[in-house]
Amino acid sequence: MEIGRIHSFKKVCTQLLLLVLPTIILVAYLLFNANSYFSILQNNSFEQTLFFAAGILSGTIFYAYRLRFVSTTLVLVIAFLIVYNFLDKINSGEFDAFFFSIKFLIFTYLFFAGWVAGFGLSRSRFFTILFSFLLLLLQVLVVSKTSEIYANQLIAAFAPVLFYSLYLVYTAELIRNMNEDEKRYVWFLSKRLAAFILLALTLLVSILLLFNKEFKGVEKEWSGREGGNRSGKQSMTKENRDGTLSNNDQMKMTGSLSKDKRLVFVAKLDNYFPDGKTPNPLYFTSMYYTKFDTLTQTFESDSTLPKNDLFSPDPSRIPLYFSKSDTTVISNSMATLSRKIISADIYKVILSPNEYVAPSTSFFCQPLPVENEYKNQFKSAYRAKMWVSNLNSAYFIYNPAGNKQLETFQQIRFDQLRMAGGYEGVDNSFMNYYTFMPRNNEYNRISELAKSVTKNSPTTVDKMIAIRDYFTSKDEFGQPMFKYSDNPGIPGMPSASKLNYFLFENRKGYCAYYAGATLFMLRSLGIPSRIAAGFLTVDRSNKNPGWYWFYADQAHAWVQLFFPGYGWIDFDTTVPDLNTQQSPQPDGTPPMNTQQAFMVADGKALTVDTIGKKVVMKVSKMLFHDENIKVKNSENLLLDVSIASITKDTGIGKLNDIKPGTSIVAVSYAESLKNIFVNEKDILINVIKKMPSPTPVDEIKIMDNQEGEKQKMNTKSTQSKPIDWISTFWTILLVLVSSVILLFTTPWIVWQYLNFKAKQDFNNKTKSYHINNALFFLLHQLGEIRHHESPEQFAFRLDLKFGTNIKTFILIYQKVKYSNIELSQTETEFISHFYLPVIKVIKSHFSAKAKLIGFMQFLRTYQYFNYHKI
Amino acid sequence: MQQQFQVDEAINNIQKLVDNIETVIKGKRTQIQLILTALLAKGHILIEDNPGTGKTIMAKTLAQSISSFSHNSSTNFKRIQFTPDLLPMDLIGSHIFDDIKKEFVFKKGPLFCNVLLADEINRASPKVQSALLECMAENQITIGDTTYPLEKLFFTIATQNPVEMEGTYPLPAAQLDRFYIKIIFGYVDEETELDIYNNYLGIADNLSHIKQVLSMEEILLLQQEAEKIFIDEEIVKAVRNIVWDTRRNTDILLGASTRSGITFLKCLKAFALVNGRSFVNENDIQIISKNVLDHRLIYRNKDAKENALSSIINKEMSRLSNLKK
Repeated sequence: MEIGRIHSFKKVCTQLLLLVLPTIILVAYLLFNANSYFSILQNNSFEQTLFFAAGILSGTIFYAYRLRFVSTTLVLVIAFLIVYNFLDKINSGEFDAFFFSIKFLIFTYLFFAGWVAGFGLSRSRFFTILFSFLLLLLQVLVVSKTSEIYANQLIAAFAPVLFYSLYLVYTAELIRNMNEDEKRYVWFLSKRLAAFILLALTLLVSILLLFNKEFKGVEKEWSGREGGNRSGKQSMTKENRDGTLSNNDQMKMTGSLSKDKRLVFVAKLDNYFPDGKTPNPLYFTSMYYTKFDTLTQTFESDSTLPKNDLFSPDPSRIPLYFSKSDTTVISNSMATLSRKIISADIYKVILSPNEYVAPSTSFFCQPLPVENEYKNQFKSAYRAKMWVSNLNSAYFIYNPAGNKQLETFQQIRFDQLRMAGGYEGVDNSFMNYYTFMPRNNEYNRISELAKSVTKNSPTTVDKMIAIRDYFTSKDEFGQPMFKYSDNPGIPGMPSASKLNYFLFENRKGYCAYYAGATLFMLRSLGIPSRIAAGFLTVDRSNKNPGWYWFYADQAHAWVQLFFPGYGWIDFDTTVPDLNTQQSPQPDGTPPMNTQQAFMVADGKALTVDTIGKKVVMKVSKMLFHDENIKVKNSENLLLDVSIASITKDTGIGKLNDIKPGTSIVAVSYAESLKNIFVNEKDILINVIKKMPSPTPVDEIKIMDNQEGEKQKMNTKSTQSKPIDWISTFWTILLVLVSSVILLFTTPWIVWQYLNFKAKQDFNNKTKSYHINNALFFLLHQLGEIRHHESPEQFAFRLDLKFGTNIKTFILIYQKVKYSNIELSQTETEFISHFYLPVIKVIKSHFSAKAKLIGFMQFLRTYQYFNYHKI
Repeated sequence: MQQQFQVDEAINNIQKLVDNIETVIKGKRTQIQLILTALLAKGHILIEDNPGTGKTIMAKTLAQSISSFSHNSSTNFKRIQFTPDLLPMDLIGSHIFDDIKKEFVFKKGPLFCNVLLADEINRASPKVQSALLECMAENQITIGDTTYPLEKLFFTIATQNPVEMEGTYPLPAAQLDRFYIKIIFGYVDEETELDIYNNYLGIADNLSHIKQVLSMEEILLLQQEAEKIFIDEEIVKAVRNIVWDTRRNTDILLGASTRSGITFLKCLKAFALVNGRSFVNENDIQIISKNVLDHRLIYRNKDAKENALSSIINKEMSRLSNLKK
């Protein structure tokens, strides 16, 4: 008996090549994955794949013939059963029997699954969809069985299946509709395959672009794990495009910390403790990290702090000598006790001109000029004022042992802080924000550690001390438990918690690890805390008292604790780095004190005479003998710039850099201005009159123009920022909802437009065209659709229904459209009075509901405008 | 102005003719208009329908409404009942020996007339069919060495039974092409039917006393007038598009020819005139395109026969409707 074929040889080949082969590849991948999660007796994914492949190949080929599924499969099942029972009988050895039967069972299941899949691919139309669904379900099961769920794992689990599903549905349909008579069969195949590959590539590329950062992160982690410190280095600071340095606005814990020895800035800070002897806090804060991204394990700064006490002006945007201050940070610091105001001068070397660093709660920034002879060394300078605590000293660990003075100081400080009391009266949202920590097993472990470390400590500060002591404690062999290391390495699994690895296994790390671990230990105890990032230097001010030098490798992170009444107090728990503590370079000479500026003018340059060295500027602000001059109208001022030194953000500038319209600040130390005095009532014009013209100036600073700022904003926004999934979700939702709304209102908008057009006055031709358009659009939208009718017949039908006179209009319109005859007076009259009444009549025939429903049907609108293209 | 006047007069004349025919043929206004369209376009018409729907009466009424040149009698109306054993000479005539003159003289057949009703044309053998259709195309008959021109006004109304009926020789597409318009006469609606039953005596009376409202000259003038009807460039384009679409459509095995397109244009002009217009508009296309094109096309199957042309026309009508001019 001849068994007929269902599919031709060509078709079977195509199926095998395009459907079965990818299926086998995917199943191989899935089995490989599943084997790493589930332990089957025989973890041999290759063999399992072979079983499945045998099943699917035989299934596909078998069912290419005209054979029934149920009966044939039943025969197969019975055969399997018999063999299975038979196996039990022949194997005498217990283990052998078990081993074989298990193996046979695995074979049976996989072969059978392959067999059914082969049948489905060969015969059933809806099988592909079902199969895709089943595979996805399977993946969900597999993923749900694994304990840790991370983005890259999810991608690895679902992307191939999803991709395969798409491919399968697409290709199966393609093969089904394949024209077997097609002569150029290979061309048919390759054409479609090429199109598919193109699509797949587009998808892949877009996914790669979208998740570029994540992939890079993973890549970085992996390369870091492989030991080669090629690109796996993380730095506390980041290099800007112009070669300057800023603090990172996020802090990642990575395998190793890169360090360099460049001088970043120099600061002058007077000793402000009451006794005048206690060494200064040398912690300069740049920003606070208050958030933690568990996905990437990165500490981040947050622009929406509750009680924001971070003052971060852009010094390059403030004119010389003019100041910017924000006193709300003082009230936001919620500190009242043991506080006072001090000031510091900061001279930037490679620190970005936009960057602002200052100890603790600063509120004031005043850019200063740099003395001429230091201009090559220091690019810009500013004076900062801040609100600091008398208690504040982060000398927790860096304190030299046996320094009596420090020990007493710390003891006093601790005693004072012990009195600070609890957090009962503190704002709830503030507390919630600063004690937030992720909840899962890993963080619970940190929490337990914190509790055990601090079980004997009643007050906040004692707990803090206990934690510090924990980090500096020694193990049973007398070795320190925790060590400092710039290259601590990271845990084997890229997604494992680095903090846990640091706290419980490796116990090596740099400041980010110590600060991060301390932060979560404190937060788990309910103590509001945050990480401060900035620079720390060592006090070597013997040579130049009050001057401190900050190098790039002194970028640092530490924690701040909030004490009611005392505000944020610094604590540093990083253990000392035994290898390198001192910056190797000797400090240079500090810049001299600046001269007294008699006149400072801020404004825009109007004309620049590079030969005569004259500049005319439009003054918008002026300081004269440190007095702020009232400005009613901005005035022009002629400057003599022959001896002036010109500076820009990045250093020395040229007169050529001043273009008409550039914002400049002119400073004069000229003796000729010394004896000119102004009183309070003087306004700008009077002051200018009193000054010699041209006014000699010594200093001109070119300010960033607006475009520069914009550019900076752009670079800032393009800097890597972790994806905020929730806001992404909301954005997507918003876009979706608004596009849906837009979609549903499209008919109405179109109608409004057409209606508007129809009401306009044009010549007969245009007017009748617009009326025709609007009228028929309205009717179409309300469900009166023209089917196989001429406009005249349609109009006749409508007239019967609505009692209108559309047919007359149509006849006139057709006449206008297709004849060479001018309209008569009555016809023109008719057109001009036709539209509004007829619309009214038509609308009155529809209920409000019918109209609403009609106008929601955007498909009708589409149909109306695309009908003739169908 | 002169032209306008002529158009008005033409419209008037047509109206008279239509009204006159309507006294006998009730409820068939569109069909009457289409027949007149074929007449004015200097073409011929094929009516397909079952027996007893008024085809013959229609032809008779039309013939009798037109007076001939010379005398006051009506035009020359002939009717041929086509049968399978009909021979071409039965149509065109034959040489008969004249006893007196002692020579063969040509005896003109029924084709030498003004209005010819070729009844049940598909029952005759293909030989006869082609004889007739060639006369229709050439407007002359050649027998031996002599060529006999037909009448100046020669209008054929052919009827055929639906092809499915027994004992028919379906007309080949090439020959169907000769008919400008094919209409389906169809039954009248219920109201009119009742009206006809009530007044059949009166209708028969009307037929025997039908007025001769137009002269042959006037018909020829109308034919000239129909040629002058204004046709917009867009309408011509629409005709081109429809013709092209019938060739492209996969459901249509044989599309419309260029000759069909020209016929289409002629018919459009004539139809506009019949409808009392001096220009062609969308309505004309909608109404006559099926009648002009349908019988020229060969469809893939029955389903295609019903839908293909309609969708082509519909598409083109939508284009015209959305057209901004």
